[in-house]
Amino acid sequence: MTPEPAAQWRDPRLSHLQQITDAALAHLALDDLLAALLDRLTQALDTDTAAVLLLDDEGQMLHARAAKGIEEEVEQGVRIPVGRGFAGRIVAERRAVAIPDVDHADILNPILRQKGIRSLLGVPLLVDGRPIGVVHVGTLTPRLFDEDDRDLLQLAADRAALAIDHARVYELERAARAAAEAAVHRLQSVQRVTDATLAYLSLEELLAELLDRMTEILSADTAAILMLDDEGQMLHARAAKGIEEEVEQGVRIPVGRGFAGRIAAERRPVTIPDVDHADILNPILRQKGIRSLLGVPLFVEGRVIGVLHVGTLRHREFTPADRDLLQLAADRAALAIEHARLYEQRRVTESVQRSLLPDRLERIPGLEVAARYLPAASATGLGGDWYDVFPVGGGRVGVAIGDVVGRGLPAATLMAQLRTALRVYAFDGHGPAEVLERVNRMLAHVAPATMTTAAYLVLDPEDESVTMGCAGHPPPLVVDPARHAHYLPACGVALGVSRATRYVEERFDVPVGSTLLLYTDGVVEVRGESLDAGLDRLRALAERHDGVEELCDAIVAEMVGGGSPADDVAMLAARPVAFGERLITRWPAQADALAGLRHILRRWLRHHGATDDETYDITVAAQEACANAVEHAYAPGPEAFEVEAVHAGGAVQVTVRDRGQWRRARGTHRGRGMPMMEALMESVHVQHTSDGTAVVLRRTLGGGSPR
Amino acid sequence: MTTTLARVVEEWHDEVPVARVEGEVDASNVQEMGDRLRSLLTNRSLALVVDLTATTYLDSAGLNLLFALGEELRGRQQRLSLVVAEGSPIIRMVALVGLDKAVPVHATLAEALAHAGEVPE
Repeated sequence: MTPEPAAQWRDPRLSHLQQITDAALAHLALDDLLAALLDRLTQALDTDTAAVLLLDDEGQMLHARAAKGIEEEVEQGVRIPVGRGFAGRIVAERRAVAIPDVDHADILNPILRQKGIRSLLGVPLLVDGRPIGVVHVGTLTPRLFDEDDRDLLQLAADRAALAIDHARVYELERAARAAAEAAVHRLQSVQRVTDATLAYLSLEELLAELLDRMTEILSADTAAILMLDDEGQMLHARAAKGIEEEVEQGVRIPVGRGFAGRIAAERRPVTIPDVDHADILNPILRQKGIRSLLGVPLFVEGRVIGVLHVGTLRHREFTPADRDLLQLAADRAALAIEHARLYEQRRVTESVQRSLLPDRLERIPGLEVAARYLPAASATGLGGDWYDVFPVGGGRVGVAIGDVVGRGLPAATLMAQLRTALRVYAFDGHGPAEVLERVNRMLAHVAPATMTTAAYLVLDPEDESVTMGCAGHPPPLVVDPARHAHYLPACGVALGVSRATRYVEERFDVPVGSTLLLYTDGVVEVRGESLDAGLDRLRALAERHDGVEELCDAIVAEMVGGGSPADDVAMLAARPVAFGERLITRWPAQADALAGLRHILRRWLRHHGATDDETYDITVAAQEACANAVEHAYAPGPEAFEVEAVHAGGAVQVTVRDRGQWRRARGTHRGRGMPMMEALMESVHVQHTSDGTAVVLRRTLGGGSPR
Repeated sequence: MTTTLARVVEEWHDEVPVARVEGEVDASNVQEMGDRLRSLLTNRSLALVVDLTATTYLDSAGLNLLFALGEELRGRQQRLSLVVAEGSPIIRMVALVGLDKAVPVHATLAEALAHAGEVPE
């Protein structure tokens, strides 16, 4: 800064000027500082105009930054190149320039002339000898600025330059900080919209959360998501914040009309700064007093699936940044909606599928059963794989499996029809071959020209055999108690090939403790592998795993891609259990239960070496006790009575317990149960407890007739 | 008639219906079995033969039915006779409850048919 020569302070204007550069200026913001400076300069120098131009960062251009009397300079953003014109010369030459007569001078800025300025005086603003700009004053009457004027202006300029520079640096810093903060805010906003944790929310929660966050980030008052219907004709309000009525009232907007309709039709964001002057269909938006709207389309793979919009109750000009952020949220919402839709579709599919399959495998005492059904990982429709297991009388169990070609509701419906038909024919007492022939004829009626494979087997645990009829289905596998596995020879053509197809049935030994495994081709058919290789793998795997559940689990884990099969997969494993010294079974209090009990008891008795007569006698006696339980047990329910048979010391003891009261049978031909039990067994004891009744029957094996 | 447990195969020998019961009879199907056997009788029937040689199980429910059926037929001047194989578990049950004292029991169908025309005692 130039030293202040004492001689120069003779001018009375100097006291005014001191105020120009007092310390207080340093605390003003740049614009206030410049305004104050120009005010004081025009007063001190008695001029009509004053202006400050600042040099840009590159040092190439002067920008009008503050003006008094010639405010147009700032308003019009006057820019003067360094070296040219009046102000440009001052900076370039770093010295004061006076122009006594504007008319005859090189003046670039037309405003100066237009305002009728006649004379000018300007000095450079210097900081450490480095020019940062120009300050100039002007008069509307001709004036010859003298040296005093020049010194005074320079003195003021020198003292103001530092404050201007400081203020400017501060302003730049503040602007840079604001820009940085805005960038951070935007980044945070983007992160909040793309937040990975959103993925853990349910669709409803996610949409609500996205709307919450969008209104907060964009400082909006309302937000809504509308979804396009399947026909692509109508938008339905799906979720809303601040305008919940949209959803409650089920707002529907035709595509192409109104605000949201336009967004969907034009597939681009739409901004409405003023709702009053726009084509808005939805009266709720107006009723809620929304002034401005911004909406973007929801895209899935280039397809519009809906619209997301935000609104404000005050007038608002949404910026491109707002629009980009909203689009980001829309993309996120679209993805989640699509995922949820696919998931829901798959869930419904699986649920329908399961409803068509046996919901719970019927519990058949003496038989362990496990089954699995896995829809193809990529499946979107229903599959046609099915299985079934049911008692067919005489202690025998029907097991069936099938695979309807195709997907979707037709395949699933046909599957259900086949399953039902097979059961009905099986219940009618027909053997496997006859059952398959009947199902084949039925198929020709309900679905001509449809082919499907199936296998139906009757497992007879008492006879330790299985009788199989097969219609083009992959061969069932039998794993014997020594864990050697072999396939049953599958034969027969698929159902639906010809309505005249004859099926044969064949009997195979299935020793107690063997496992019978039925499955559909998805288990053994692996892409890039021969069918034989798949069959070999399944057989080897079956030999390594014991137990029906374990076997199914192992197949799912090792054969069908860990539960994500390429094709639908169904499997059913059944194993007649081996008997121990003690047998406990529980039965519903229904006459139907008697046959099942009879057969399992027979098998158990034979297992312990009882003769045919002994087996028959003990079975009848036990049945008489059970028949009483069935008739008189007061507590009907899934497990109303229990039969325990124990083999010890060459004798068999059968105990039948129920929760009812023992009653002597009444009626002419009703009282033979007790005498029969007494005649058939060595001892019969009826025990009454607070819980119910127990009948204990005992007979020594190998002892001939009991009495 | 067919149930999951048993089925009745009917044959006619002149005016004599023969009901061959194949399978098992217990409390769960005895009602149905009774209805079926009674339906075979007409007013002109002199006798009903129930052939139990293919019956694999018969307990007190079935025995009670046969006792009752025997009484009903006797009341109508008709005759119920049974065919039960000798040495079978069924014959032991029939003897055990004394059904053979109430109803004529024959070892073969031919024997039963030969006696079918006899007037009840």
